[in-house]
Amino acid sequence: MSACGSACGCGGGSPPSGTAARKEREHWRSLEQLAGAVEARAFLEREFPVGASEPPEGIDRRSFVQLLGATLSLAGLAACRKPVEQIVPYVTPPEELVPGIAQRYATTMPFGLTGYGLVVESHEGRPTKIEGNELHPATRGGSSAQMQAAILGLYDPDRSRQVVQRVAAPAALENRAWSDFVDAWKALEDGYLASGGAGLAVLALPSSSPTLFRLAGAARQRFPQLRWATWEPVSEENSLAGAALLTGRPLRPSFDLRAARVLVSLDADLFLGESDAVSYARDFAEGRRLKSESDSMNRLWVVESALTSTGAMADHRLPLASGQVGVFTIALASALAAAGVTLELPPGIPAMAPPQVPPTWLAALAKDLAANAGRSLVVAGRDQPPAVHALALAINGALGNVGTTVVLREPVDLLTPSTTELTGLVGALRDGAISTLIILGGNPVYDAPADLRFEAALAKVGNIVHLGLAADETAERAHWHLPEAHFLEAWGDCRAADGSASVVQPLIEPLFGGKSAVELLRLIATGEEQSGHDAVWESWSVLLSPVLSAEDPFAFDNALNRVLHDGLFSGSAIEPAAATPFSPLSAELLGALQESGGDSTDSLELVFRPSPATHDGRFANVGWLQELPDAMSKMAWGNAALLAPRTAARLGLANEDGVRLKVGSAAVELPVWIVPGQAEESVVVHLGYGRLAAGRVGTGVGANVYPLRSSAQLGFAAGATLEPSGQRHRIAQTQDHGSMEGRPIVREASLEEWRREPRFAAEMVEVPHSAPLWEQHKYDTGPQWAMTVDLNVCTGCNACVLACQSENNVPIVGHEQVRRGREMHWLRLDRYFSGTPEQPEVVFQPVPCMQCENAPCEQVCPVAATTHTEDGLNAMVYNRCIGTRYCSNNCPYKVRRFNFFNYTKDTPELLKMAANPDVTVRSRGVMEKCTYCVQRIQSARIDAKMAERPLADGDIKTACQQACPTRAIVFGDLRDPEAQVNERKESSRNYVLLAELGNKPRTSYLARIRNPHPDLSPAVEA
Amino acid sequence: MAQIFPRWTNELPLRLAAASVVVGGLLVAGIWYYFSPEYTDVGYQPVQPVAYSHKLHAGELGINCLYCHATVDRSPVAVVPPTQVCMNCHHVVKRDAPTLAVIRESSANRRPMQWVRVHNLPGFAHFDHRPHIRAGVGCAACHGRIDQMEVVALSEPLSMSWCLDCHRNPDPYLRPEHEVTNMDWSAPKDQLQSAALIRSAKNLQPPLDCTGCHR
Repeated sequence: MSACGSACGCGGGSPPSGTAARKEREHWRSLEQLAGAVEARAFLEREFPVGASEPPEGIDRRSFVQLLGATLSLAGLAACRKPVEQIVPYVTPPEELVPGIAQRYATTMPFGLTGYGLVVESHEGRPTKIEGNELHPATRGGSSAQMQAAILGLYDPDRSRQVVQRVAAPAALENRAWSDFVDAWKALEDGYLASGGAGLAVLALPSSSPTLFRLAGAARQRFPQLRWATWEPVSEENSLAGAALLTGRPLRPSFDLRAARVLVSLDADLFLGESDAVSYARDFAEGRRLKSESDSMNRLWVVESALTSTGAMADHRLPLASGQVGVFTIALASALAAAGVTLELPPGIPAMAPPQVPPTWLAALAKDLAANAGRSLVVAGRDQPPAVHALALAINGALGNVGTTVVLREPVDLLTPSTTELTGLVGALRDGAISTLIILGGNPVYDAPADLRFEAALAKVGNIVHLGLAADETAERAHWHLPEAHFLEAWGDCRAADGSASVVQPLIEPLFGGKSAVELLRLIATGEEQSGHDAVWESWSVLLSPVLSAEDPFAFDNALNRVLHDGLFSGSAIEPAAATPFSPLSAELLGALQESGGDSTDSLELVFRPSPATHDGRFANVGWLQELPDAMSKMAWGNAALLAPRTAARLGLANEDGVRLKVGSAAVELPVWIVPGQAEESVVVHLGYGRLAAGRVGTGVGANVYPLRSSAQLGFAAGATLEPSGQRHRIAQTQDHGSMEGRPIVREASLEEWRREPRFAAEMVEVPHSAPLWEQHKYDTGPQWAMTVDLNVCTGCNACVLACQSENNVPIVGHEQVRRGREMHWLRLDRYFSGTPEQPEVVFQPVPCMQCENAPCEQVCPVAATTHTEDGLNAMVYNRCIGTRYCSNNCPYKVRRFNFFNYTKDTPELLKMAANPDVTVRSRGVMEKCTYCVQRIQSARIDAKMAERPLADGDIKTACQQACPTRAIVFGDLRDPEAQVNERKESSRNYVLLAELGNKPRTSYLARIRNPHPDLSPAVEA
Repeated sequence: MAQIFPRWTNELPLRLAAASVVVGGLLVAGIWYYFSPEYTDVGYQPVQPVAYSHKLHAGELGINCLYCHATVDRSPVAVVPPTQVCMNCHHVVKRDAPTLAVIRESSANRRPMQWVRVHNLPGFAHFDHRPHIRAGVGCAACHGRIDQMEVVALSEPLSMSWCLDCHRNPDPYLRPEHEVTNMDWSAPKDQLQSAALIRSAKNLQPPLDCTGCHR
C-alpha cells in the first residue's frame, strides 16, 4: 500500500520529495510469499489453514464415533454432581508463608562458564515462574526463553526417579538407593587411595562454581593420578584459547556493549547464541534507544554465515561462510592498518578479502572503526577458531578498546572446557587405563565429537557412574545412574562472566531425591557425605571472609543472608587484569587461517550451531522450547539443513526435501529449509535434536547431527556434501501464520530518513476520517492500560513468547497441530524480510492482542464472551465462550487462539505443578488470547488498595515486558502523564497496526530505525 | 356421512396452545429454580472428618473468626486452620475426647487433615477475600450465620448474579471494618448513609468487568 505518498503530498503543500527520498521497502515473510506461491496465498486467506478444524490424524471414523458416544454419556453423568473438593491445610504452617500469596526467591541458573541470576516465584512451595534478577549482571531483570523454560525442566515427567545399577548377571537394571551407591563407592575408594587414583577419571561440565572448583581441587589432591576432563559441546573454549594466544595467559575476555558506538560481530550471535546474550542484548539496546530525532545510535556490522538474530539487528550485514570469516578478519586488520590504526601484522600475509566482500564495504567498516577507536568493539563468535579470537582481540587492542569495551579478567573458580582433555580421556578409556569413570552431568554418549567414538571407548570401562537429570543416552551405558537434582532443587553457587558470585538457592526439596554434582563430588573428594548446603556454606565462609568484621559473631550469617536475598554477592566482580602487552600474531597462525578459508568449489561448508531451543540437546524434552518457532527460520519441532536460496537452487532442492548430509563417511538424513540471507555454499544445522532417549517430548524430534561433528571441527567443517535422498519431510513452521497480507505492518526507515520525516511511520497510511456509528466510550476514568513495543531494539529472542506461555498456562499442541496453524502462543513473534533473498534486511515484531478500543471481535460474539472492560481491556471470558470462532475470523491481527482439543487433559500430574494458579486452564472449544496479564493487573490493584496507595507506574509488568532483555515492551496507564508508556507513545516513531480500520488499538509500535554508514547509505549508492 | 372427528376436537388447537403455554411456563420456571445454584447448592452440608462445631466455637465460646481463618485479611484465601491451631487449645482442653482422635493423630503423625470444601467456586472464577474485608463486607454476608451452624452448610448460592447484585449495589452490606467478623451485626437505621460514607472514604469501586473475577 502506498497511501502515504498521497497523505504526505496533500499535507500542507509540502513537496513530496520527503517520501520519495525514503527507501520504499516491501516486507515479506517467506520466499513463497515473495514469489506469490499458491500455498502461501491460501495460508493468508484463511482464518485457520485448510484442515485446521478437522479431527486429529490417526483416528478413523469408527473410533471417532465411539469416542463421541463415550464423551456424551460421560458428560451427562459427570454433570449430575459437583466434584467434591478437599481442603488440606498444613499440620504446622511454615513460617513466613501465607497460603495464597506467592513468594519470590533469588537463585542462579548455572550455565557453562557463567550463571544467570533469577528470581523465582513460588506458590505454596511450588516454583511456577522464572524472572531475571534486576541486581544480577548476567540478566539484570531480563531473561531468555531457556531460562523461562527451566521451570518445565524441573517438572519434566521423564526425569529419573531412582538410583539404578546395571548388574552383569542377569544383565538387568536394578533399583538401588543412594546409600547403596555410597557403599559401592566406599568399597572402591581404598583401592584408588592406594593407587593414588590411577584408573579413576572424572568427566565434568564446565562451571564457574566456587564450590565445585574447590572440590575438584580437593579430589585431585586426594587422588593425584585422577584423570580429570572438562567438556561440553558448546563452550567458550575458543575464546579463552584466543586470549591465551595473545596474552600468554588464560585470561577471560568479556564485553561491555554499553560503551560501544560501533560493534562488529564476526560470526557471533551476540543476542541469542552467546552465553551472555541477555546482558549483551540489554547493553546493545541502551545504545539505540531513540527518544528524539536528535539522539544518536550505535552501529552494528555483522559478518556471519547463518542468519541470526544478531544479523537481523545489523545495520550492515554480510553473509559469509564461517570458514572465510578468518580471511575477512585478516583483511579487516590490514584495512585498519591502512586507515592509520597501529596494528602490526606479520609480513607476507596477503590481505585480500574474500571475493564476496565489496571493497567499499570493508573500507567503510575500517573507517567507522578507526573513527570510533576506544568506543568500538569487535567480537568473534565462539564457533570461530582461536586465531580469529586472537585477531579480534588484537584489533580491539589496537583500537584502544581493551579497558573500555573489552575487559580481560583472570579466570577465578573456572573449570574451563578443553577438547584436549576430553581427547586424552577418551584415549585413556580406549587403552583400558580407566576402571571407574564418573560423569558429572552431561550426555557425552550423545554429544561427544564423533571421531572420538566415545561410546565405543566406554566398553573398556568396568564401572561408569553417571549423574544426570534423566535416563539419557549416557545413562543407558552407565553401570550406576544417579538422578541429579535440578538447579531449582539443590544448593550450589556460580560466578557470572564478570566474576560476580551468587548462590544457587533451591526452591523445593529434590522431587525424586536427586543429588547435585556438588554432593557427588564432595563424596569423591573427601569420602564423606555432606549436604550441598553444608558444602556451599564451607566455600562461602571463605568467599565472604574479606567482608566480615571480626567482632560481629553473626557477620557471616548476615552477609550470606544478604547474598541469598539479593541473589548476588555485590562487589565480588573480579577486577580487570593488569594491562598485558599483546604478543604479535605469528605468521603461521594467520597463514593457517588464510589457508583454511581458501575457496573449495566442489564441496559445502557445514556450520554447527546450538539450537536456540534445545541448546546442545539438554532441553530436548522441554515442550515449550520444542514448540517455540525459531527466531529466524520459524521452524518448530525439529531441525533442518538451512541453505541459502541460491545454493538450494543450484542443488535443485526445495523446502522439506530430504537430503543426505555427508562429512567424510558420516551421513545424516534431514530436511532442507531455505533461509534468505544465509551464506552461500554453507549449510547450517542446529545441534540438540534427534535424541534417542530424551523422554516423551523430545525423543526422535529432528535429526542428530553430532555424528558429523569431529573434535577438530566443532564449529564448522569443510568438505560437506548434500545429496537428495528422495524423501519428503514435514516441517512445522509458522512463518506464514497470522500474516496480514502485505499491508505495512512493520515500518522502518534509516536514521537520516527519520530525521527528515519524523512522523513517517504514522503517516505511512491514510487514516480515513469516519464518523462512528454509535456513541464511543470515553475511557476517561480509572487507569487505561496500553502497551508499546519498540521495534528498534527487539532482537527476536523469543523470551517474551515463552514468558507469556509460562505465565498464562498456554498449552503446547505438537508438531502436527503446528503444521495446521493451531499453535497457541498468545504472543507471536513475526519476522519480516525486505530486500533481496540473498541479502535481506530483517525486522522482528512481537504481536500480542492489540486490545482495540473498537474491538472487531467483540461485535461479532453471539454470547458476549468477549467484552470490553472499564480499563480498556478486551476481556475474554472462557466459561461463556461457545467456540463459534467468529471473533477470530473478525480479528484483523490474528491474535486469537482456539482450543481445538482438550490439550491439557492428559497433562501429567507433575507438569500441572508448573501451572500458574492465578490463570484459568482452558478447555476444549474455547477461544483464548492475550489479556495484558490481567491477573497481574488485578493483583497489583488489590495490593495497592490494601496498602492504601494509588497504583504507581511500573507496579504492573506484563510477563512479556518483564522477560524482555532489551526492554522493548512497555506497559502502563495512558491516563498517567508520568507513565513511561506515554513517553514512548509520544515518540514520532509511534504507530498502530491497521490504523485505517479505526479499531483504535491500545498496543502500538515504535518504528525500526537503521543506522547505515554514510558511505554505504542507499542515497550514495544511487 | 358421520363426522370423523367429534365436536370437542374443534377446541383442540386452543387447548393445545393453552397447555403448551402452561407446560412451557412450568418448564421454564422449573429450570429457572431447580437448575439454579439457589436450589442445587444452597444447603450443601457435607460430612467433615471431624464433627467440628462452629456453633460451639464461634457461637458459644465466641472465638473470633480470625483466630482460625487467620490470613483472610492478608491473602486471597482465608485458610482452614492448620492442625496446630486446633492443638493450641486441645492439648489442654478436652485432650482425650474421642471425637478429637483424628486431630491428635494428624498432629502426632504430621499427616494433614482433609476437610471437605463447602464454599467451592469454579476454577474459572478467582475470588480474593482481602478487598472484601477491607471494604467491610461481613463474614456473615456470604457465609451466613456460621455461629449458629453445628455443621457448616452453604447458605448463599455463590452464583454470578448473586455476586453481581452486591457489586452493583454494595450499600446494604457495608459495615465498619471492625464489625466484619461480628456475626450479630445488624444494619443500623442509617445504613445507606453510613455505607455511602464508607464507600467514599475507601474509594470503593466494586469491579463489574468480567476480568474482575474471570482471568
